[in-house]
Amino acid sequence: MVDNNNFALKTNNVYVHYGNKMAINNVALDFPKNEVTSLIGPSGCGKSTFLRCLNRMNDVIDSCKVEGSFIMNNTIDIYRDDLPIENLREKIGMVFQKPNPFPKSIYENVAYGPKIHGVTSSQSELDDLVKESLHRAGLYDEVKDRLTDVATGLSGGQQQRLCIARAISIKPEIILMDEPCSALDPIATAKIEDLINELKENYTIIIVTHSMSQASRVSTKTAFFHLGNLIEEGDTSKIFTKPDKEQTNDYITGRFG
Amino acid sequence: MVYFALLLLFIVSYSFYYFGKNRALKIKFTGDQKLASLPDYYGYFLVLVVFLPSLIIWFILLLYKSNFQELYVMSPTLFPDIAQWSDAKFGLIMNKISNLALIVNIPEADLLKGQTSLLNMSSESELIAAKNLASFDSIYGWSIVIVFILLPVILGLSISRLINQKLNVQPIVEKIIINIIRFSSIVAILVTFGIFFSLIFEAIKFFQYVNFADFFFNTAWNPNRAWVISSGETVDPEILKDAFGWVPLLTGTLLVGSVAMFVAIPLGLASAIYLAEYASSKVRDIAKPIIEILAGIPTVVYGFFAALTLAPILKNFGDSIGIDISAESALAAGLAMGVMIIPFVSSLSDDVIRSVPNSLRDGSYALGATKSETIKKVVLPAALPGIMGSFLLAVSRAIGETMIVVMAASLRANLTFNPLEPATTITTQIVTALIGDVEFENPKTLVAFALGLSLFVMTLILNIIAITIVRKYREKYE
Amino acid sequence: MSNIKKRLKAERRFKFYGQLGVFLSLLFVTLLMLKIFTTGSGAFFRTTIEADVFFDPKFMQVDKNSSDKEISRSSFEALADSVVNNNFKDLNEGQFIKVREMFTRRFDYQLRDYFLDNKDDYKKTVKLKITASSDLDQIVKGNYPRNVPEEQRKINDYQLSILDELNKQERIGSTFNFWFFTNGDSRDPETAGIWGAIMGSFYALMVCLAFAFPIGLFASVYLEEYTKPGKITDLIEVNINNLAAVPSIVFGLLGLGMLIGVFNMPFQVPLVGGLTLGFMTLPTIIIACRSSLRAVPPSIRHGALALGATKTQTTFHHVVPLALPGTLTGTIIGMAQALGETAPLLMVGMVAFVMEIPGGPLDPATGLPSQIYLWSESAERGFIEKTSAGIMLLLLFLILMNLTAVLIRRKVEVKW
Repeated sequence: MVDNNNFALKTNNVYVHYGNKMAINNVALDFPKNEVTSLIGPSGCGKSTFLRCLNRMNDVIDSCKVEGSFIMNNTIDIYRDDLPIENLREKIGMVFQKPNPFPKSIYENVAYGPKIHGVTSSQSELDDLVKESLHRAGLYDEVKDRLTDVATGLSGGQQQRLCIARAISIKPEIILMDEPCSALDPIATAKIEDLINELKENYTIIIVTHSMSQASRVSTKTAFFHLGNLIEEGDTSKIFTKPDKEQTNDYITGRFG
Repeated sequence: MVYFALLLLFIVSYSFYYFGKNRALKIKFTGDQKLASLPDYYGYFLVLVVFLPSLIIWFILLLYKSNFQELYVMSPTLFPDIAQWSDAKFGLIMNKISNLALIVNIPEADLLKGQTSLLNMSSESELIAAKNLASFDSIYGWSIVIVFILLPVILGLSISRLINQKLNVQPIVEKIIINIIRFSSIVAILVTFGIFFSLIFEAIKFFQYVNFADFFFNTAWNPNRAWVISSGETVDPEILKDAFGWVPLLTGTLLVGSVAMFVAIPLGLASAIYLAEYASSKVRDIAKPIIEILAGIPTVVYGFFAALTLAPILKNFGDSIGIDISAESALAAGLAMGVMIIPFVSSLSDDVIRSVPNSLRDGSYALGATKSETIKKVVLPAALPGIMGSFLLAVSRAIGETMIVVMAASLRANLTFNPLEPATTITTQIVTALIGDVEFENPKTLVAFALGLSLFVMTLILNIIAITIVRKYREKYE
Repeated sequence: MSNIKKRLKAERRFKFYGQLGVFLSLLFVTLLMLKIFTTGSGAFFRTTIEADVFFDPKFMQVDKNSSDKEISRSSFEALADSVVNNNFKDLNEGQFIKVREMFTRRFDYQLRDYFLDNKDDYKKTVKLKITASSDLDQIVKGNYPRNVPEEQRKINDYQLSILDELNKQERIGSTFNFWFFTNGDSRDPETAGIWGAIMGSFYALMVCLAFAFPIGLFASVYLEEYTKPGKITDLIEVNINNLAAVPSIVFGLLGLGMLIGVFNMPFQVPLVGGLTLGFMTLPTIIIACRSSLRAVPPSIRHGALALGATKTQTTFHHVVPLALPGTLTGTIIGMAQALGETAPLLMVGMVAFVMEIPGGPLDPATGLPSQIYLWSESAERGFIEKTSAGIMLLLLFLILMNLTAVLIRRKVEVKW
C-alpha cells in the first residue's frame, strides 16, 4: 500500500475565502506520489477551488485569499514568496474542464510550454519532445499528418488529449485535472481514462470529477468534499464500499448531490 | 413670427384631436350598432390629415422663400430683357433691389445722404420692383397664416363630415403611420444614395473638363490654372493637363496618415493591453473614459493645437539641432491626428482583447507562462484579426480627417515621403476648392467632388474590410 | 534559474510599456486642456484706459434733448478724437494717430452708448474706462513680448512710453469682457464676440434634431419591428454601419451638391448646415435606437399582442416608450458630435464673416466650431486667446451634453 513518506504534495490547514465568503474550511489532504487521487462532491463544494490552489491558479482572481501550508516533495512550500509562480506551474501542470487549445497549430500548442521555459536547445530536440508528448497523450497517430493544422479544428476529445500533451510536454511532476471529461462523449471519456491510467506511471495525478464511476475507475485514493469541508478521505475502494461517514454514504448512493 | 405660426399649427392640430373624438362620440346609434373604431382614432385621424399637408407646404414655402421672392419681383413686365441677363447681372440687380427695398418706403427727410443718392441712381422699374419686394414680406406672412390656419381648418372641417359609425379609421390611421415610418427608413437609405449620386454626378461633370488619366496619374497639382476659366465655357483639356494631378495629394494623405498611425498604434495598443490585462477595475474605470475624451474633442481643437503649439515647437526643435522642419510639416499635423486617433485604437482593441476567452489565459498560465508571455503569445495572436480591424478603422479615420490638416498642413502640393516637409492632403484640397465662390460649372469647384468621391471610395473599402473582419472575429468567440 | 530572472524582467518591461502608453495618453489630454485654458482665460477680460471725457458741444451733433434715434444715427468720431487730444496734451499729427491707435476703433460707439444712457452728462466731464485696442491689450496681458525690435512690434516705443506713463498714473485697468458673450464677430479682436456663432450652432442643432431624431427613431422602429430579418435588412444594416464611418467632409459635399446644388437651397444658413449635420448624425441615432429597441424583451410585445393589440399599438404604446431613454441618450451623443463638427459647416458656407446675430435658421450665420476655425486663421494676435476661449465654451457645451446623456442613462436605465 501507500508508503507514508512518499507524498508528492501535502496540504494542511487550508482556508480559502472569496471576499467574505468562505470557500474552503480547514482542509488537510496529502497526495501520494505516482498515484491518482480523485476529489468528489456535489457542485459548489469547493473541490475545484481546492484544486486550483495547488498550482496557484487562484492568484489570478483578485478577491480570492488562500491560507494554509502546501508542501511539495516534503521540502518546497509552494506559496513561498521567493518561488516564482512560473517555476511552480512548470512542476504542477493543469488540464481544464473545457478543452482550451490555443488558436494555433497542433505543433505550436505542444511546443508552447517547452519554448517559454527554454527546455530544449535545438529545433530537432523540440520536434522530438512534441512528438513524444503527443505520443504519450495517445494522439500522435491521429494527428501526425497534420501537425500544422489549427488545433481548434480537432474534435472535443482530441482537443482534450492535446491539452494533456501540452501539459506533459514540460515534464511536470503533478498534473491537476479539473473535470477533464465533463465536456466529452462516452467514447472520448474512455480514451482519456485509459490515458490517465497510463500516465500515473510517471506522474502524480489529482483529478476533480463529477462522476463517481469515473473516480472509482481511475483513482486509488478518493476525498469527499461538502460545503468547503473535507468530509472523508481514504482508499477509493473503502470510500465506495463502506465509508465511515453517513454523509459520504448518502452522496455515494445518490441520496443527494 | 414663424415660430408663432408653428405653435399655432400645433394648437390647431391638437384641437382637431378633441374635435374628431367628440364628433365620433356624439354619433347616435340605433340598436346594437357601435363605433367602428375607438373614439381616439378619429382624433388621430383628423390630426394627421390636418398636420401633415400644412407642415409639408410650410417647409417648401420656408425653404424657397428667396426663389418665390425672385419670381415675384423680377417679372418680365418690369424688365423686358430679363431672359437675356447673365446670372451675375441678375444677382447684382436683385441685390440692388433688396437694398432699395429697405429704404424705398422711408420718408425722404429721414434718409441719410448715401441712401438718397442710391434712390436717385435707380431706374423707375427698379423702384417698382423694390416696392414690390417690400410688400412681399407681408404677402409671404399672410400665405403662411393661410397655410397654418385656413388650410388646416378647411381640411379638418370637411374631412370631419366623413366621420360616421361605419367609417373604420383605425386601419387608415395605422396605414398612414406605417407609411410615415417606412418613408423614414427610406430616407436613411436615400442618404447613402444621395452621397453616392451627388458625388458621381458632379465628378462626371469634372471629368468632362479634365482627362481621367490626367487626374489619377499626373503628379502636378495647380488648381489655380482653372481660375481663368469662367463658368460654362468649353475648355481645351490641354490647359488643364497639369492642373489636377491627384498623386501628390494621395501621397500627402498617406504621409500624414502614416505619422498618425505611428503615434496611435503603439500608444493605443499599449493602453489597451494595460487596461484590459493589468489594470485593476478601479484604474480602468477612471483611465478609460479619460482617454476616450480624446476622441470627443472636436477636431478643430486639435488643428488649433497642431498649428499654434506643435508646429512652432517642432520647428524650433529642428532649428536647435540643425534640421529644417517646415512650419507646415506633415509631422505636426500627423502627431496631432495620432493623438486624436489613440482612443479609436485603444477602445476597439480593448474590447477585442477582453473578448478573448479566459480559458486560453488559464491554459497558458497553467503551463507556467508569465503574464506578458501569455499576452504576447496567446492573447494577442488570438485577438489579431479584431485588432487589425481596429487599425483599419483608425486608418480610415485618419484619411478622412479634415480640420487638423486644413489648419496645420500645407496648401501646396508636394510629392514627398519626408514628414519634415510640407504636404497637402485630399481633404485640405476639398476645402480649398470650395472656399470663395462656388461655381457648379467650373472645374475648380467640381474637383472637390472628384476628390470627395475618391475619399469616399477609399474609406468605404477600408470600412467594409474592417467591419467584416471584426464581425467574423466576434462570431468566433460568441 | 537565470532563465526565470530574464523572463520576469521581460514581464516588468512589458508592463511598463503598457503603463507608459496609458500615461502618455493621459498626459496628452492634460496638456491639451492646460494649453487651451491658459491661453483662453485671458479672453474673458479686456484692458481699459481711464480717460476724462468732456461731452463737448463743439464736437457733437446732438444734445441732451435729442431723441434716442437721433443719437444712434449721429457720429461720435469727432468727440472721440477730442477726448484723445484733451487727455494727451500737445500731440503732433503722427503722435495723435499713434495714441488713437491705443484705443479701440469702436471708441466712438462706446461714447455713444454711454451718452444714450446718461444724457445729463452733456457739457460735463466724466471719467470713463475706454476699451484699449487689442494690440495694447496683448502687451498688457504679457502675451506679446516687449523686448523684440521695434519694427517687429505692433506697438512702437512711443506708444510703450505712453503706456508706462498711464500705468504709473494707474489709469490702465481690466474689466470683465461681456462683449465676448454678447457680440457677433468683428474685425477687431477686442470687440469680437461668440454669441452669433452660438446662436448659429443652436439653430443648426435644432434643425438637425428636428430632422434626425424623428427620422432616426421611425426608421429604427421600422427596421426592428416591421421587417423580417433577410437580405434586405442585412443590406440596410451594412449600409448604416458604413454610413457611420463616412468622413464628415463627405457629408458636407452631400449638403453642398444635393441641398444647395440640386434643391437650390440658400448658402451659409443654419437650416442647410443643420440638415447636413442631420444626415451625419442619422446613422449614430439609428444605431442607438435600434439597440435600445432590441433590448426591450419580446415578452412585452407578446403580452400586448396576446391582448389583441395591433402591431402598431403594441409598438407605439409599449415598445417605443420603454426604449425611449436609450434613444434619447443616443440622440444627445449624436447632437454633441454634430456640435463639434466643422468640416460640413465649411462645405455649406457657414464660415463667412457674420457680424449680425442670426435671428433664425434662415439668416446667414457661422457655427461655434467654424467661428473657432475662422479666428484661428486670423492674423491678429488678439484672436489667439479668443480662439482658445471659444474652444473652452465649445468643450463646456460638449461636457454638459455628454453629462446629460450619462445622467439620463443612469436615472432611467431599465434592467431587464
